[in-house]
Amino acid sequence: MEKEKKYKLEEHQPHRPFSVPEGYFDNLTQNIMAALPEQEQLYSTHIKVTPWMRIRPYLYAAAAFTGIFFCIKAALMISSSNDNVQMAQAEETTIYTDEYIDSFLETAMIDDYTLYYSLVETAN
Amino acid sequence: MAMMAYDERRILEMLREDEISRRRAFESIVNNFSEQLYWQIRHMVLSHEDANDILQNTFIKAWTNIDSFMGYSRISTWLYRIAVNETLTFLNRQRTTVPLETDEEGELSVADRLESDPYFDGDLTERQLQEAIATLPDKQRLVFNMKYFNEMKYEEISEALGTSVGALKASFHIAVKKIEEYFNNID
Repeated sequence: MEKEKKYKLEEHQPHRPFSVPEGYFDNLTQNIMAALPEQEQLYSTHIKVTPWMRIRPYLYAAAAFTGIFFCIKAALMISSSNDNVQMAQAEETTIYTDEYIDSFLETAMIDDYTLYYSLVETAN
Repeated sequence: MAMMAYDERRILEMLREDEISRRRAFESIVNNFSEQLYWQIRHMVLSHEDANDILQNTFIKAWTNIDSFMGYSRISTWLYRIAVNETLTFLNRQRTTVPLETDEEGELSVADRLESDPYFDGDLTERQLQEAIATLPDKQRLVFNMKYFNEMKYEEISEALGTSVGALKASFHIAVKKIEEYFNNID
């Protein structure tokens, strides 16, 4: 118990036992500021703008437009080739000679009205 | 050019402006915080030269990372965090690179360093107090120094270390008990 009474921190006034060289704090701000790198140096290490960086956005934009152009072009080509196929198929189905139709009509025993009717119904 | 008065709102505005304004604003920050940060660091590393180096590094880091700080917290909190990190990194490096010719508690090392330090002017009890503090874990030592020597409020320490006030009070209480125990054992 006696030992515990020997030392109580709260009974001692906090005292800083350290010192600094004379005038240290007077020049501290100046010394710290002098040791800081210049902003130019900061920029030169972090954000150095090279010619490549300058033209890069334009190149990217040009590449994007070229891409879009070729996409549109490809889409148009595909769609027009589809039309050609349809047209080709249509030609195959519609090329009938008049002689063929006449002979068909004769053998089919069909009048004009029935022919018209059947064509309209088929079309619908 | 006269040093501008410390006005945190104005400083934050100036840090977003051109290079000259940024430098002036930062100078005001350095002027306002350098001494208190120095003492915080000095109590941890003991030597003036080491404390001065760490303080310089703290402000260089703050300056080079000023963009990442913007609006993050109070300037003091931000600076204390950098200073604490720099100090702990230094102490860890020191432990791994400098072989300690000491007993387990590092008493001789601290005593040796303080005896050979021309900027330590404490008496025997104050040297023993430093030796006792040196036996504490780093975080506990930080809290103790901030509270006891730098007389910071728990709320301020809480902001700087990101630890709850309750945990800090407990940490300080344990540190005081350990220090008193240390003194009672050496008598």
